[in-house]
Amino acid sequence: MGMPVTAHVRDAAFAPGDLDAAFEWLREVDALFSTYRPGSEVSRLDAGTLALADADPLVREVLARCEALREETRGAFDARASGALDPSGLVKGWALDRAAALVDAESLCLDGGGDLVLRGGPWRVGIRHPLLSDRLAAVLELREGAVATSGTYERGEHILDPRTGHPPRGVLSVTVTGPELATADAYATSAFAMGRKGPAWTAGLDKHEAMTILTGGRVLGTPGFPLAAAAAAA
Amino acid sequence: MKALAAIVVTVVAVVLLARFETEPPRTLNPNSALEPVRTPRALARPASTPAPDRSSGEGERSFLGPAMTTPFSAIQVRGFFTGRRLTGVETVLLTGDGPHTEALNARAEPILRESVLEAGSADVDVVSGATSTSRIWLDSLQGAIDQARRGR
Repeated sequence: MGMPVTAHVRDAAFAPGDLDAAFEWLREVDALFSTYRPGSEVSRLDAGTLALADADPLVREVLARCEALREETRGAFDARASGALDPSGLVKGWALDRAAALVDAESLCLDGGGDLVLRGGPWRVGIRHPLLSDRLAAVLELREGAVATSGTYERGEHILDPRTGHPPRGVLSVTVTGPELATADAYATSAFAMGRKGPAWTAGLDKHEAMTILTGGRVLGTPGFPLAAAAAAA
Repeated sequence: MKALAAIVVTVVAVVLLARFETEPPRTLNPNSALEPVRTPRALARPASTPAPDRSSGEGERSFLGPAMTTPFSAIQVRGFFTGRRLTGVETVLLTGDGPHTEALNARAEPILRESVLEAGSADVDVVSGATSTSRIWLDSLQGAIDQARRGR
């Protein structure tokens, strides 16, 4: 997948081998979806050498969800934003949701490059400070669900607003929580791309909460964002 | 004479429409999936709009606001209260055709809590952050967390 995936499991009777199914699944996803592999179905679809009707049902499912998200976010989420077909904004969360379902553990945190699938908590989740890399901007506490953070912390790495072709102004990061990572991750990316209009959009989302960190040190959160009750700030 | 009357009616309708667009009644549009959350003082200060708090309903009273009318629709807002705290809002649409009532809901203001960005450190199980070119940061932090765990 091109990113580190870590599993935290609290069940006492758990062996590392119990993760094999999940990681095998992630390898399959890479083979189907990687835009870096010319032989992947996504690459071949984009090149025109594979017809959509002949594609794997999983690929068709993901592309259909991408299209629905593009409409729902009015273009802020767009699998064709870069010109080529690139559904990886949805694939990562979608793959991790399914990977978590393949782990036979009651208490699990699956961490894919900073986006999380959780169950059997409570889990205390820190949100990385966008400017001070060794500090936290917030602490969340939740039993289950997904946490996705979108943003740019370093120069040279941009998420572009597909509608303008430029990076969004004024926003450092957006964190979204919800029942599953596929949608939470897509919403985080979309809200980030919306720039200063993102927070208002997140306030209207059903079943999802969000926290947006703006430049200038202003934070706008939906009232139900699951901040931990006791923040032990040092 | 009929043509003149038709023009007058059209002009009046346009004027009424213009007035509707500039003075819509205000509504609150709380996220219906909200759960009560206690926000630590260190991380937030209260927003100017009271946050909805869905309690069990015991001791909850509701009050119906005045009916607000426009040439095209009429609404009333019911507020639910526990003590003096607003716990819920319901917008009752009395009349109105589709496009205008949709426009009304589209003007609903988002409820957001504003706070100042803090920079803290805390005991956490895992960190969520945007993927960065130096992913070793997250790996390193996770390593530190794991060590702290083992040290306990």
